[in-house]
Amino acid sequence: MDDLEQLYQTTYSAVVRFLYRKVWDADRAEDLAQEVFVRALAHRPEKPRAWVFAVAANLARDEARAAIRRKRHLTLLTGDPGQGPTPNIAADDQVEHDERLQAVRDALESLTPRDKEVLLLWDAGLSYPEIAEQTGLAVGAVGTTLARARKRLVDAYDRQHARDHAAYS
Amino acid sequence: MIGNMRETMRHIPEDELHSYLDQALSRSQCVEIESHLAACESCRRARDNIAALRDRTTALLATLAPPRRFSPSIDVVRERASERATHRHRRRRAMAWAASVVAALGLGWWANTYVSHAQPATTAVAPDRRPAPADRAPVPRDAIPVAHGHAGTADDGAVEMRADHPAKALGSAAPTQPIRLVAMPRVAEPPRLELSTASLPTSSSEPALGGIWRTLSWAGAQTERGDSVPHIDGLPVVEVQVGQAGAAAGSKSIMVVAQQLASGEVIRTIEGPAADVSQLLNSRPGAQNPSPWPTAADPGIAGGDGAMAMRHGDRMLAITAQLSNDSLRAMMRRLNAEMRGR
Repeated sequence: MDDLEQLYQTTYSAVVRFLYRKVWDADRAEDLAQEVFVRALAHRPEKPRAWVFAVAANLARDEARAAIRRKRHLTLLTGDPGQGPTPNIAADDQVEHDERLQAVRDALESLTPRDKEVLLLWDAGLSYPEIAEQTGLAVGAVGTTLARARKRLVDAYDRQHARDHAAYS
Repeated sequence: MIGNMRETMRHIPEDELHSYLDQALSRSQCVEIESHLAACESCRRARDNIAALRDRTTALLATLAPPRRFSPSIDVVRERASERATHRHRRRRAMAWAASVVAALGLGWWANTYVSHAQPATTAVAPDRRPAPADRAPVPRDAIPVAHGHAGTADDGAVEMRADHPAKALGSAAPTQPIRLVAMPRVAEPPRLELSTASLPTSSSEPALGGIWRTLSWAGAQTERGDSVPHIDGLPVVEVQVGQAGAAAGSKSIMVVAQQLASGEVIRTIEGPAADVSQLLNSRPGAQNPSPWPTAADPGIAGGDGAMAMRHGDRMLAITAQLSNDSLRAMMRRLNAEMRGR
């Protein structure tokens, strides 16, 4: 097993997840993830882990631009087959589950692009130096950005969740 | 910095606690922070709050995950990469091919423009329209036509009429009646292997070389002669004939292969014993006397008035067509080179 194959085994799922949170389409995320590793096989990058996420971010950015052009990038989670209903959840619970997911997604989308990028890269398992290299931040600024992004994500989610509950009560 | 903060009992900044919990600090920084935390309840609470925030962020993000599926084997990715490389290679080859076609078209256009300045040669079907030598327009010396692989083009009939060797262009002023090369129809049916009376030569005044010729199919000729069938590559073959008599014992008899240019004109390549070939060439109406054909002592290309030949020992290779001497000479060189290469 070469280095790239090992990286594929350990990173593929994280790359799919990273891409899904940007394109919001499970099939497309998998397709783009495979494209990332196809390119990695051709380029054999020196720092493969950081490289695959950098390429994934670029592909997602291109995808988002194309989606904007097609004016169909705001697919509702309830209509997204990739999200899918959770098995054995009653109808009311399903609605609440979908709303919760939508609230998280809205909270994530409410972040600034840089905060969202840093947060997703950290969640994908990249180290501070790797995040710094990819985003152009100083290594020391990554912790600051992460602190702000986490706080804003949770605050935004709590506000959204409170609004949803107020609407139904 | 952290050490100074601890010394002055300033609390640990939040971002440093995030970095600490993310294990993004050096070992020495961790030791300093842990020392401060041991003595500072406020910072311990801040650490616990940040740890909870961190866990909650992780939990929220975890809900935004695609349905869990099996990861495809890396072989799938390798195959896709291989297909991509093949596609790139094909695309490069297609680009190179397209570029070569464009270059060839450009060259052809240039050649067409250049050759079109030469006076058109008369065709075999209208020999009486052939201009008199005095009427021939002078053309550059380097405009000697070259027989291409696809020699059957309309330009084959548009070649210069100048004779570089007036002494050998004896037939230019004579009646230009070709040896039944005129108006050869395109053969629609496949060549047949059969015995027939001679269809060449045709003139009643010429010796008939024994009078019996065989008409062969192209495949039959190749079976009989192998690669030594006289012909010009790239032109359709309309007739192959083999003389039955006149050859010395043990040697191959004379063979005549008629091919057609795209202009409709027929060009014949002849190979056989020198005596038979020269006799056949001399049998044409209006043939020169004395013979202009190459001899054993002077085997180089010689001829004129629609025929050109060269010697190879006691064998002779010849071409007849209603083309200028220079065109025939160029075709003769090409034929000789092709025959040597076979």
